Amino acid sequence: MAEKIALIWPEIVLFITTCIVMILGLSPNKQWRSLCLPASMAGLAVAGVLAVLGMTSGSQSETMLPNLPGFIKITVVGVGLLLLMLQGGLIDRREEALVASGRAFSPLRTNRAEYYSLVLFSLTGLMLCASASDLIWLFLALELTSLPTYVMVAMSSSRGRAQEAGVKYFYLGALGAATFLYGFVMLYGGTGELKLGPMAGVIATEGINNITLIGLLLSIAGLAFKIAAVPMHFYTADVYQGAASPVTAFLAFVPKTAGFVALLLVCSVAGWSYGESGNALPEAARIMIWVMAAVTMTVGNVLALMQSSVKRMLAYSSVAHSGYMLVGLLAGPGDGTFGGSGVSAVLFYLAAYGVTNTGAFAVIACLEKRAADRGEPLEVEDFDDLRGLWKREPVLGVVLAVSALSLMGFPPLFGFWAKLPLFTSGIAAGEITLVVVLGINSAIAAFYYLRLLKAAMIDDAKGTADSPDRPMHHPAYSLRLATGVLSAIGVVALVPMAGLLANGAKDAGLYANPTIDRDEGPITVQSEPVDRQIEEPSV
Amino acid sequence: MSMMPALTTLLAAADGPFIAGGTAPAWVGLMAGLPLLGAALCVVCACLNVKSKAPGYLTVGLLAGGFVTALAAFMGGSDSDSYGVATIFRWIHASIGAGSEASITANIGYYMDGLSMLWMLFVTGLATVIGLYSTEYVEHDKGLGYCRFFFAFNLFVFSMSSLVMADNLLLLFLGWEGVGLCSYLLIGYFYKKPEAVAAAKKAFIMNRIGDLGLLMAIGATFVVFGTIEFRPLFEFIRDGVDANGNAIAHTWVVVVIPLLFTAGAFGKSAQIFLYTWLPDAMEGPTPVSALIHAATMVTAGVYLVARMYPLYAADEAHIALSVIAWSGAITAFWAAAIAFAQYDIKRIMGYSTISQLGYMFAGLGVMTTTGAVFHVLTHAFFKATLFLCCGAVMHGFAGQLDMRKLSGVGSIAGFKITAIAMLIGCLNLAGLAGTAGYFSKDMILAEAFVTPGEVIFLPWAVGLLMLLTAFMTAYYTFRVFFRVFVGPVKYEAGDDHHGDAEEEHAAEDAHGHGHDDHGFHPHAPRFAMNAAIALLAIGSIAAIPLYFINAEDHGWAGSMVHESTAAFAAPEVHHDDHGEHGEPHAMLSADVVPVSLGAAPEGDGEAAHHGDNLGLGLDPHKAMYVVSGIIGVFGIGLAAFFHGPKGLGGLFIGNRTDTGSPRMDAVARYFGPLPRLAERKFMIDELYDTIIVKPLLVFSHIFHAFDKLVIDGLVDLFGSLPRWLGSLLRPSQDGMLHGYATGMVAGSAVLLLLVVLVALL
Repeated sequence: MAEKIALIWPEIVLFITTCIVMILGLSPNKQWRSLCLPASMAGLAVAGVLAVLGMTSGSQSETMLPNLPGFIKITVVGVGLLLLMLQGGLIDRREEALVASGRAFSPLRTNRAEYYSLVLFSLTGLMLCASASDLIWLFLALELTSLPTYVMVAMSSSRGRAQEAGVKYFYLGALGAATFLYGFVMLYGGTGELKLGPMAGVIATEGINNITLIGLLLSIAGLAFKIAAVPMHFYTADVYQGAASPVTAFLAFVPKTAGFVALLLVCSVAGWSYGESGNALPEAARIMIWVMAAVTMTVGNVLALMQSSVKRMLAYSSVAHSGYMLVGLLAGPGDGTFGGSGVSAVLFYLAAYGVTNTGAFAVIACLEKRAADRGEPLEVEDFDDLRGLWKREPVLGVVLAVSALSLMGFPPLFGFWAKLPLFTSGIAAGEITLVVVLGINSAIAAFYYLRLLKAAMIDDAKGTADSPDRPMHHPAYSLRLATGVLSAIGVVALVPMAGLLANGAKDAGLYANPTIDRDEGPITVQSEPVDRQIEEPSV
Repeated sequence: MSMMPALTTLLAAADGPFIAGGTAPAWVGLMAGLPLLGAALCVVCACLNVKSKAPGYLTVGLLAGGFVTALAAFMGGSDSDSYGVATIFRWIHASIGAGSEASITANIGYYMDGLSMLWMLFVTGLATVIGLYSTEYVEHDKGLGYCRFFFAFNLFVFSMSSLVMADNLLLLFLGWEGVGLCSYLLIGYFYKKPEAVAAAKKAFIMNRIGDLGLLMAIGATFVVFGTIEFRPLFEFIRDGVDANGNAIAHTWVVVVIPLLFTAGAFGKSAQIFLYTWLPDAMEGPTPVSALIHAATMVTAGVYLVARMYPLYAADEAHIALSVIAWSGAITAFWAAAIAFAQYDIKRIMGYSTISQLGYMFAGLGVMTTTGAVFHVLTHAFFKATLFLCCGAVMHGFAGQLDMRKLSGVGSIAGFKITAIAMLIGCLNLAGLAGTAGYFSKDMILAEAFVTPGEVIFLPWAVGLLMLLTAFMTAYYTFRVFFRVFVGPVKYEAGDDHHGDAEEEHAAEDAHGHGHDDHGFHPHAPRFAMNAAIALLAIGSIAAIPLYFINAEDHGWAGSMVHESTAAFAAPEVHHDDHGEHGEPHAMLSADVVPVSLGAAPEGDGEAAHHGDNLGLGLDPHKAMYVVSGIIGVFGIGLAAFFHGPKGLGGLFIGNRTDTGSPRMDAVARYFGPLPRLAERKFMIDELYDTIIVKPLLVFSHIFHAFDKLVIDGLVDLFGSLPRWLGSLLRPSQDGMLHGYATGMVAGSAVLLLLVVLVALL
């Protein structure tokens, strides 16, 4: 028990922060209220320090991926800080304006406390996902990640579109959750174990039975909702578009990361020890993920190609990125090296995607347009609105360019170094056809990212400087601009540090040997990677 | 292979080409480094928007530094021990293939021996003087254009230095391409003039043909010898083996590779088939014509052949040398014939450059590298002089170059120095007895008549052709001089008469000659141009004693050549052996005895020549002195008769009283269509246009159409696939909640069904 608590100290700190923020936000004093964001960030930073300490002290979770929590938590803290910064100025805009104009503050009308709590709860859930060592914990953590986001979507804007998105997200999310919960139940039914470690031991010693296999397939199908993969991707565009940009950025990273963590944990239970070469998932799961990966990236990219809204385009590209990462999931831990391990590749890609994507959404969140109905200003979201951005707002233009190029995987930016291991691990695992599909899709993706670049950097601005539909600054412009700049700096500056991150991802992708007898009491996880006879990839 | 003691070096020279064994000091790199610095500074000047002549003076200063470096290297390096390689830094060190022994090494290193030393001396020297001339010549373009000019000028000297001093073929090739680029940039300096742009493109493209040959030669060299560094390469050639130890004599190696090198040399040096770019290149500013297209760059081909001479000499049949000898002679004759009928004085000088380059190649072909190299040297001086004089005329008469519209320039105030220098240059080019041009040309001519027929195909015919050319050269050279510089003063201005520029010019003109709207006043060259012209004219006289020092080596140039890889085929020695063995073949092949230091004293040579001379009872050189001296004077006399003005107390035998109607016009009609054809350059450009350019254009249109319809069509088809797929999928995103839910469930069901079908059944 003590070991488990040692593992979740960051989550505990975050929970305490959440409670503090919930009280702070209700304070009638404006100064106190405005402390919500700094307090949240401070709490997250402390959690990050604790995560680093936990990782260096060698605490491991009792799963097949014992080093996973540390890396995920540090990534979540890093990207989470950017995401939190981006949330600034989003909530209570109208209420604060009224209070400033003299209306009495009423705790009943303010949403600030709830909002930041929800954000922190979601991040806590994500961290708990990574620490999860049994199915119930994993399910609860996944729901703790997702439930706050449903509300965040609905709260993010006073416009009906946001509420509609929230309802859709919640309803379809429940459907997805039901699916993977059903899968979890079957996993339990097939193995008689709830804990992931012993469950892997059972499968390793007794082989995988059909009930367990169906459980695995259903879990994968259900978790596809979290990562927005086909066939659970339908909600993506509507929800991403309906939510305010800061929330969209949040959705593109947090539930996706939770989904991939859960997928990695569930797949690692079955293990990558099947197939002819002995380093593939069970054939049924392999086929399922193969088809999901190929279809997801293709559908995401071809639909992104059709969009005139940047937010919808980024939503579909987020679908496509999930498809790319599924290749890493399929490839598995491989020979345990960074280039050969698909698990490390997925983890590394999540970090890169989180940083880069936040930058892209930060640019959009910086600008807004006057609404024709004199209501809440509209978000800037069309390609047309971004035309001539470079000439109007050079900094935003550069941030957008760096983000788009990195998302495209353009060398030498971070996105390139993240995408490379996906290719190499896919080749190492022998999935040549899928890697070719990945390559073709990267080329298609270049088209719409370059279109975004062209609109922002080359085209001339639409209309004159004082025309009514010319985008203007969001009130929280400087904070969001800072977020974008930080993320762009990250995209560039993390390149020299990619080796360090890659090492972290490599360790996190460490796959424990599952040959454990279920009757031997508490499992001991061997930290040596499985020694497999894998032929050297012939590239 | 590092440091070789002096004795070993000398021994090595005794049984093969002189291979510089020592280590040259690293500061020889300054010869390339200073111009590079100059180029960089010119860019800085351009960025700072400098509007003065600073870039020009900066360039002259740095180039002078380069010349001083060259002099220092020469003084310190004439001792053969210190000739060698100076490696500045390791550049390319690569193994090829996994586990194989093959590797390629190419350093930024400079190979200093007599040949590169000689070239560097006159390249840096002439560049300095011509740089000085340019500071005044392009002054109308102060500002960005000025910086651009001197940037390219510096870059050219840098590239030329790299070419000449390279210690491997790759660096040589880089320099080779660099000078080509600078030539392109400088020919197109007046980029608003369509002719200049076309000429620049033509020069660049024609050079590509030769460059392909050079590139293939370098590739073949690497394949055969496994190295492109000079020292190991020449050691292989000296030993007559390739990298695997197989003998190279009687194989394709000694025929094909030299021919490929020859193709490269012919492109750069505007020889047979590839010469048409050089006359057009005269569109560039005159200093550029003088430096690049007369004195230095166009001699790079001669340098290349001289550098690779051991490879040429290794072929017992001397196929490549025969090709070079004949091509050179034919080019010399052909270009002289065209120069006969041209009226543009600068173009005549251009054709005479082609013609003289032909002499140099013929010299290489008949195995007198010394003669060829000495002719390069003398030609560099007197041709640069001639060009600078033409430039002074062009500068003074607003771009006028038509000899029919200029007369008596020498009598106009301020053009005295120009006229005297022009006379000196013309006498050299015409080969008047006693001039430097006369001595260097004679070395080649004489050698053509003594080279045995077994060695080169019909060498005496080469000699005769060159003798005929020498006569023509004397005639067309003095045709220019008599028509333009002497006679009654009469001129028309050219059309470069830009009002504003002239106004400005007149105001700042030191001579202060007036300028009014009614007439054109030529403005004479001022200090910088006069100084440069005078220096070069003095230089072309000063080259005469060079022939007489180190007489046993055929002059100074000979002593330089003998300490280089071109130290092959010394005439006396093989004639010596000819007498003794009766078989010139054997010793002209790989085991040819070269003239090493001090070998073959003059006496031996004279004795040897008695057997097969021209029958005048003299040795060939002395016979040639007489013959070509007479021919030169006769050519000049003919020019005086046809084009000279009356007057000066009957000194001139001509009848010309004004710029037009010389006697020649009356005579020309007896030659039928030939003069017209020669004036139109024998329609070679038109011929190339018809047989090469037009068919290529047709092909390119066909391929373009194919590309447009088929390739682009396929690409567009594939490009539209994702879009088409997207529009197919788009209706699934209709925004309806129940539709999405159905899609999710149905999608999962389909997926699971698929898995069940494929995997479980």
